[in-house]
Amino acid sequence: MQKEKKETRQVSDILDMSLLKWRIEADGLELLVQGFKEKKILGRKCHKCGMVYVPGPSYCRKCFIDIQDVVEVSKKGKIACYTVNLADVRGNPVDEISVAVQVKLDGSDSWMMGQLEIDDWKKVHVGMPAELILREETTGALADMVCFRPI
Amino acid sequence: MRNVAIISVGYNDRFVAKRPDVNIPEMIQPAVANALKKTKMKHSDIGVVVEGNMPTFEGINYPHLWFSDHIGAAGKPVLRISTGGTTGMSVFHGGYYCVASGMFDVAMVIGWEKHDEGDAQVGLMGIVLPEAFSLFQFGPDMSGGRGGGMGLLGGGGSTGGASFQALSYLAKAKGTPEHIDKMAAQARSNAAKNPYAHLQHPNCTAADIAKTPMVSYPLRFGHTCPTSCGACVMILVAEEKVKKFADTDRVAWVKAVATASSDATTGNLIDGQINDPAEQAICEKIAAPKAYQLAGIQNPKKEIQMCEVYDGFAHQELMWPEKLHLVDNSCKAIDEGRLAIDGEMPVNPSGGVVSTNAIGASAMVRVAEASLQVMGMAEGGHQVPRRVKNALAHGWGGLFQFVTITIVGDEPVKR
Repeated sequence: MQKEKKETRQVSDILDMSLLKWRIEADGLELLVQGFKEKKILGRKCHKCGMVYVPGPSYCRKCFIDIQDVVEVSKKGKIACYTVNLADVRGNPVDEISVAVQVKLDGSDSWMMGQLEIDDWKKVHVGMPAELILREETTGALADMVCFRPI
Repeated sequence: MRNVAIISVGYNDRFVAKRPDVNIPEMIQPAVANALKKTKMKHSDIGVVVEGNMPTFEGINYPHLWFSDHIGAAGKPVLRISTGGTTGMSVFHGGYYCVASGMFDVAMVIGWEKHDEGDAQVGLMGIVLPEAFSLFQFGPDMSGGRGGGMGLLGGGGSTGGASFQALSYLAKAKGTPEHIDKMAAQARSNAAKNPYAHLQHPNCTAADIAKTPMVSYPLRFGHTCPTSCGACVMILVAEEKVKKFADTDRVAWVKAVATASSDATTGNLIDGQINDPAEQAICEKIAAPKAYQLAGIQNPKKEIQMCEVYDGFAHQELMWPEKLHLVDNSCKAIDEGRLAIDGEMPVNPSGGVVSTNAIGASAMVRVAEASLQVMGMAEGGHQVPRRVKNALAHGWGGLFQFVTITIVGDEPVKR
């Protein structure tokens, strides 16, 4: 069905994105990493509907109101869903297989992303209890999150 | 509100990976011509043109600047709509609103993508980069280890995001990755019966799919959509003008349109994610009931004879019919052959998005294919054997957060 005309010419270019200046509030992420200093997992709770978000945005996405109440949640929770990374962003096989998980921490209504440390990825399942492991000496950075481990 | 009929569907040609012989306007123009050819109208009868594709995927932000003459838009209103994967159906809905409202008697809608001129993964990066880059402000682990912030998303780009949804769905439906193999095999086999489909694999089996490499468990290469080039054009006409312009007695009537949106699900790194990507309450509890109410459908399982769902990944072809109240458990249904072209609820006789994905066109192709089924004009052996009185088309977009539904039928709704 295709007509093989070769009339067009290909012109190559790349888009330079260096001048873009994105602004993001990320206030809840700041609260989370500051909590890591005291080895606490901090989120925000809506004073109207009671939803707990970790990381906690400055507004409730269900009630559309500003929220400020800070709450601490458990480091333990259950795996809500996961995937096993077997290829890179271009689909090429990776040397080291990793397991990305979304964990619903006890006391939180939202899911938190991280990587699971496990010897055999085939053992992972939805609903599996897992715990967030922080570095022994925390500094208030995302890198304080070492991984999740099955309990 | 006026009743609206789809009187014509035009594709440019078969969807393929590369079209080095044409540029974007040259690729779209034949679809316009093909759609017009199947009507009794002249180009000047078109009142409004609505168009859309994925912004940045070809690196051109206002592509309609360059093809407005190729689609004959001079002197007419042109609207551009873009909502991610749902773009094609949002464009269709835009055209529908124009005619149903009484503002125009005829609308032409165009959904297209020319993936060979850009980079889909880079286009997708342009969507999530601000969010991902924000993590750099919070000291992520840059050592390549398992530390927080980096390497969180699944492998294979968008496949990684979809794989979270796939596993969550399988856990709820008590299905296995082998069910996804079966679904993908059916899709690619159906595509072989559709002369316009991109990845055609006659008699494809689950074993064929299971041989393809795993990208991001449970999704394999064989479960993922290709990047296709192509355009879809549809012509929508007000009820009172149908006899004047339609070249067929069997037009497809738009019985309902519905759409709903939610928060980004999966990939929301900086605010806690509150929605399970496999829950899709926006479809199950909002958009689908609204569509059935508008269409006057009480029992979708019986009153709808086929569906075309947006399945960028094969597990979605299992998941969406459940969320649309068309199938109770798709894993069981595929095991029993009930989703086949000659089954009780044929899902994607066209081969679906998993076989053909020119993204800006894909959700519109779902409506086009549902309409062709109602009109009895699906070519090449993918026409559902029993009479299709009502058909449902579905699209999803964004980070699993937009859903669009269109129901078409062989007679208009009495309003």
